[in-house]
Amino acid sequence: MTNFAVGLFHEPQSALAAAGSLKSAGFATPELMSPIPLEGVEEVLGEKKSVIKRFTFFGAVIGGLSGFLLAAGTAVLYLHPTGGRPIITIPPYLIITYELTILFGIVFTVLGFFISARLPAFRDRVYVPETAVDKFAVSVGCDNEEHFKRAETILNEAGAEQVREVAEED
Amino acid sequence: MRAETNDLRYADVNEDIVKSILETGPKYYVTLAIAGGITLLCFFFPWFYQLYFGIGAAGMNHPGVWGTYLASFIFWIGLSHSGTLLSCVLHLTNSSWRKAMYRSAEAMTLFSLMVAATMVMVHVGRPWFIHWALPYPNQMEMWPNFRSPLLFDVMAITTYLTGSSIFIYMGSIPDFAAVRDRTTGWRNHMYSLLSLGWRGTDMEWHRLHWAYTFLAVLIIPLAVSVHSIVSWDFAMSIVPALHQTIFAPYFVVGAIYSGTAGIVTVMFVLRKYMNFEQYITKVHFDNLGKLLLVLSLIWTYINAIELFTGWYSGTSTEHEALNYKLFGYYALLYWEMILFCAVAPLLCISSRFRTSFVPMLILSIAINIGMYTERFLIVGTSLSRQYLPDAWGLYVPSLVEISIMVGSLALFVTLFLVFVKIFPSVSMYEVKETMDVPGTKPTAQPEGSSA
Repeated sequence: MTNFAVGLFHEPQSALAAAGSLKSAGFATPELMSPIPLEGVEEVLGEKKSVIKRFTFFGAVIGGLSGFLLAAGTAVLYLHPTGGRPIITIPPYLIITYELTILFGIVFTVLGFFISARLPAFRDRVYVPETAVDKFAVSVGCDNEEHFKRAETILNEAGAEQVREVAEED
Repeated sequence: MRAETNDLRYADVNEDIVKSILETGPKYYVTLAIAGGITLLCFFFPWFYQLYFGIGAAGMNHPGVWGTYLASFIFWIGLSHSGTLLSCVLHLTNSSWRKAMYRSAEAMTLFSLMVAATMVMVHVGRPWFIHWALPYPNQMEMWPNFRSPLLFDVMAITTYLTGSSIFIYMGSIPDFAAVRDRTTGWRNHMYSLLSLGWRGTDMEWHRLHWAYTFLAVLIIPLAVSVHSIVSWDFAMSIVPALHQTIFAPYFVVGAIYSGTAGIVTVMFVLRKYMNFEQYITKVHFDNLGKLLLVLSLIWTYINAIELFTGWYSGTSTEHEALNYKLFGYYALLYWEMILFCAVAPLLCISSRFRTSFVPMLILSIAINIGMYTERFLIVGTSLSRQYLPDAWGLYVPSLVEISIMVGSLALFVTLFLVFVKIFPSVSMYEVKETMDVPGTKPTAQPEGSSA
């Protein structure tokens, strides 16, 4: 069980400032929750990198190979000579290759999104429903009561409307 | 859009959109019952009749072996084109006017594709063998012929349907979470499952942005390929007036054109009957009108080129096909198509016309009638006049075919009506992005500047 200090803000700038202050004060990287994607998060919490592009790239490569192998392989398995033309005919098979490149690229992108965004969530995590409407929240893990008090002070100084203590199961 | 949403607050957006899902009046149920009833009566009953008595129930016979079923198939595939494609292009170009309308446009794509796929099943006559088009190991040791454009179609449409479904779902995850927080009972369970535990953290938004952008990049060439491939179903034959290299761009432009007109129709209906006046504004109609004007000009140009190349070929078969199209049995339909798709859209030159809701609705419906006619003419006139005069003949759709054609529209409407009560029809978080962030000074912008 981990306890979190969650500060609720009316303005995104205050939430960003609070997140920056918590990070500078030595807390673990705080989490920002917002109804829209916020600008300036990376300036405060550092650059974010995701593996999604790798999933997309390798998905597309696997899809392309599968597409060509499917078309060429099935043509070899069931021979259907037409007008003396080659059994493995490149131009039409490139179309199948193209379609499966995109199909696998899409499917792997989604897979990459789920893995990197840690979705779907199979356990309850810190969440503030107001952040789906018009509030901005900053949450940070606290090891003990003293930690929580320090976080609460920082959040209040940054202009939090409210600070909540939320427990999350490990 | 901002000018008309200036009075809105973030909470109002949630309130309005969630209300559109949760509060259902008797008008909705009556409309759903009528649309569902027509679907049953005009689509499924005639289809079962055809299945029972055989494909002879349709008016298709030599030489007109392709009829309204295939015309409807091309029409619905075409209508599917603007939704996701336009949404992807506008997402990548960061056009904010897209944000209020893209969800419904993408739904239009999804349901048009479903109806199109159903039309193929109706056309083939024995849909219980449809799995023969899929590559799977079977006891006959037969595999599909991947050199055939029909198999290209299977792959392209499957990919497009998968991509469009994923694209609309991914974009809806944050909104499902917002609806989840406002619901109880079975609805809460459903939206909890659909939102996957979304919390709107900075990490989740970052991942969603990139995944969504990569999907958009992948879907744009896919959408172009889908209708190119549909055109090759015809262009790869050696039938006069079909065997043309311009068919792929012709079909793609036609598809985007009819799809954009379809978006105008859907936007009008949503605005009026779902009370989205503050979200779907004159700016949207103005921009869609400009797009329709450009597309109509490109479409007209390609039609002119098609006529020119037919004439310039100097072959008697092409000349006969051309002459038959312009002055033959179906000539009235041809000139109706020109009136609706090439002449009428010129009205969009006027900004007053573009920002008038009812005239834009009438124009959008006229364009789609014209575009359906175009598809019918491609299928109907070309097969009626092939090489040998003794093989010439007329195709006239039977009552079963006409009924299924009407029923397919009702099927689309039924699916869309179900959609508006499950999905937030307007993207909440993206509309919020176009509004002033809480705590900042409102930015005074003239109406339309956000486009």
